[in-house]
Amino acid sequence: MRTALILLFLLALASVPGSVLPQEGIDPSAVTQYYQSHPSLAPILDRLSLFNVFSAPWFAAIYLLLFASLAGCVLPRTFRLVGSARQKPPRAPSNLGRLPASATYTTDLAPAAALDSAAGLLAGRRFRLHRGDGWVSAEKGYLREVGNLLFHIALLALLLSVGLGGVFGYKANRLLIVGQGFANTPTDLDVFRPGRLVSPSDLQPFSINLLSFRAEYVTSGPQLDQPITYDAAMSYRPQLGGPVKHYVLTVNHPLVVDNVSVYLIGHGYAPIFKVTDGTGKVAWDGPVPFIPVQQTTLTSEGVVKVPDAQPYQLGFAGVFLPSAAVSANGQLESVFPGPLNPRVSLVAFKGNLGMNSGEPQSVYTLDTGGLKRLPVAPRPLSAGQSVKLPEGAGTITYLGYQQWVSLAITYDPGQLPALASGIAALAGLILSFLVRRRRVFVRAVSGPDGGTQVSLGGLARSDAAGGFDAEFAELTRLLRAEHDGRSVQASRIGDGTVDGPDDFDDRERGRLAVPAALTVAAATATDQASTGESGAGEPPPPEARPAVSRTAETATPEAPAVANPETLTGREEE
Amino acid sequence: MPVNTTLADFSNGLLLSTLILYALAMLCYASDFAFARHRVIAGTGEADAGAAAPEAAAMPELVTAGAGSGSAPASGASQAGAASLAIGGRQGSAGAGTAAVAGAAGLTSHGGPSDNAPASRWPSGFWLRLAFGLTCTGVVLHVLAILTRGLAEHRVPWGNMYEFIGAFTCMAVLVLIAASVWYRAYYMGLFVLLPVVLALGIDLTWIYTPAGALVPALQSYWIAIHVTAMIVAIGLFIFGAVVTTLYLLTDRSQRRLAAGLPSWSAGIWRHLPVPSILDRLSYRSVLFGFPVWTFGVMAGAIWADHAWGRYWGWDPKETWSFITWVVYAMFLHARATAGWRGRRAAWIHLAGFACLMFNVIGVNLWITGLHSYAGMS
Ligand code: HEM
Repeated sequence: MRTALILLFLLALASVPGSVLPQEGIDPSAVTQYYQSHPSLAPILDRLSLFNVFSAPWFAAIYLLLFASLAGCVLPRTFRLVGSARQKPPRAPSNLGRLPASATYTTDLAPAAALDSAAGLLAGRRFRLHRGDGWVSAEKGYLREVGNLLFHIALLALLLSVGLGGVFGYKANRLLIVGQGFANTPTDLDVFRPGRLVSPSDLQPFSINLLSFRAEYVTSGPQLDQPITYDAAMSYRPQLGGPVKHYVLTVNHPLVVDNVSVYLIGHGYAPIFKVTDGTGKVAWDGPVPFIPVQQTTLTSEGVVKVPDAQPYQLGFAGVFLPSAAVSANGQLESVFPGPLNPRVSLVAFKGNLGMNSGEPQSVYTLDTGGLKRLPVAPRPLSAGQSVKLPEGAGTITYLGYQQWVSLAITYDPGQLPALASGIAALAGLILSFLVRRRRVFVRAVSGPDGGTQVSLGGLARSDAAGGFDAEFAELTRLLRAEHDGRSVQASRIGDGTVDGPDDFDDRERGRLAVPAALTVAAATATDQASTGESGAGEPPPPEARPAVSRTAETATPEAPAVANPETLTGREEE
Repeated sequence: MPVNTTLADFSNGLLLSTLILYALAMLCYASDFAFARHRVIAGTGEADAGAAAPEAAAMPELVTAGAGSGSAPASGASQAGAASLAIGGRQGSAGAGTAAVAGAAGLTSHGGPSDNAPASRWPSGFWLRLAFGLTCTGVVLHVLAILTRGLAEHRVPWGNMYEFIGAFTCMAVLVLIAASVWYRAYYMGLFVLLPVVLALGIDLTWIYTPAGALVPALQSYWIAIHVTAMIVAIGLFIFGAVVTTLYLLTDRSQRRLAAGLPSWSAGIWRHLPVPSILDRLSYRSVLFGFPVWTFGVMAGAIWADHAWGRYWGWDPKETWSFITWVVYAMFLHARATAGWRGRRAAWIHLAGFACLMFNVIGVNLWITGLHSYAGMS
């Protein structure tokens, strides 16, 4: 268990940099930014996989070691549990007074009859019994171990489910402009990250069209600009050539087709441009998605690439302001995320876009290496306005805007198993916290005075929530009432708990572990308390023997020495 | 639906009144320590003397037999003949550690502590009664403040950090009240209210956010499940962390005294029970809190799956919830491992709480992620 503890700690420690440093898998642009602001440190961090912590080899190593240690720990424990569930409880120790909880009284019943009724009482409370000559031992609470094992096995299953999803599932992203559609094929997706064992033909063959998108924002008050609603109305075909269905996609309500989920994770504006090149031909006519650079007001940036323009290729870098207004310092900026006053301003380039170099280019950046900036005074265009490019390069017209949404598409076959394991883990945890495993022993011997001396002893393991002492006291009370016991000569309900797993080990069956170093500390006569006996009204039996009571000084100095855990108080007012 | 600003203002007023009541309650708890005469640690439970007589009558035979070597507290208890629920003396002191449970009669079933004699439950003494009354009144106003905020906004009232802090401090006080009554842990009042008052003060001033609607990402019934679980767990963990801190302090003070060294704070700690009882109380709060936290993290994962398309993505908030969970699990393991019980485990407990607080405060303020309530990316 110590190894597991260390590995657990390492796993927690290892995930810290993943939350502090930007991560490739979560926010690649933040990583790029980090490279710019820490040019000398970033490559070193990168070599240590610190921008990719959760898929780093050292993270996987800890994870796998933990997995192995968990498996290596759970399997033998399962076998042991099965074994111990088939065995009888251990025989009663000879001196029950040495146990953490104990009590003694005398009765007029014969020893065998006393034991019979004790066995009946314990069996009625669903203890498992083992009877011998002059003793009964009883054990209860195997469910605790069952719960604990269920929890650990469920953790194993959870780790496996996560792995399953990683191998057989896939994740994809698609930016979709209103009015457009796509099919779920690797070529039609913007980003496609398949699991190790996923081939393109495994993709579920649905297609989706975005019909409209509506965003609503708070228009006044302290929460101005905050979004309230996003609705994306779409039509989709679950199968190629199948019937068309409709769905309104919102943030917390993914579309599920064929076990694949489609999520609405972002939105933005796509200004529509028409570009006429130097020869008078229309070289581009359509919307171009711009990416929000300012979340609250949706100020967005984007580039328009016109590779077909003649005689030169054309490129534009632009800023889109959905609600343009002149700010206090004379700058034009967006003041609201909704399209109250949409404007675009552009910077124009001509030359070579560099799109034939073979290297893949981002559609959101312009490689200005082969481009010449055209001397056009930047001017915010409203819908319908054009800019005539100098040097006979052509004209660009801003026609209006369209909206786009970004969709995440995920297929994760490990999801349901993960959920089931999670629920099982929680159930196991609660079970193991609620149930305590405990043993109760009863011995009855004929006393010298003709009566029968009955002694009880008990101990619980990991009595985390407390309560065994109360249960033991209750058992004692019931049994004594049933036996019509005359007097209790000694009772001690100390800390009836043996916390350490090893203290209660089933391999040691028959040799009951008791907190070490028990010492006979005092023998106290008990007249005082016997005087007020309620029911019988008898005077205390004169022959009441001095009860032997002992004081447990537990082996571990830390072990609590508390009489009754229910009374977590230690003060008194006078 | 627009926000009902009148009601929202009313809620703010209620929360401010709550803060004032808690502060007054703290003063009364402190006065109780200062003016009420308490027996030094390890005496009998305060109400026991009263409750003991009938119990002793019902169960006279179960008798105090502990108190080896005449350890003062326990023998005092047996002399009184009324030691229904005696608590063993200081841990490690020679021979102490057992005491009788004459009050076993009161513990009629092996159910929870609720089976204890009711007479022993309630606070006694002028200052303590006043303090507890103020705490209870405060928590009623606190709950009302949260309710009215929700009514004003027509939604679950824990959608931003201001509301979240308001909610988990309320939970911490509810835990305090429950522990006071169940475990007679009235001595915790001052120490739990201290961080609660601080947090509420900061909440009302620097973190205050006017009432308003939720961003689309938070508009889901999962907010009621996931965030509520987190609030309950955090309330329990706050209580646990305060008890653990007290455990470490009293334990240190006792060890110093045992070693013959001076301990300036012993005067305060003598109002508290022995460290082992604090240790148990703190363990219990984790025992309750850990499954709730586990549930909350799982509910969060399911919600993340609905909103973001994956159930686990190592978002900073998720990562720190995981770290918190692991450290608390380590605490549970440590507590079950010989040689780690006691002080070492307590330090792990506090480390877990530090992770929790970093998650609640640090991650919200310094790290951006999907949980920044910024809505969609
Ligand atoms: C992700 C990893 C793990 C977590 C979160 C975890 C969590 C837990 C929890 C919450 C408990 C309950 C503690 C109690 O009942 O007092 C527990 C008990 C236990 N765990 Fe783990 N555990 C993990 C890994 C392991 C591993 C790898 C081992 C074995 C090598 C292990 C061995 C045990 C044992 C023996 C117990 C029983 C302690 C007792 O009954 O007193 N655990 N674990």
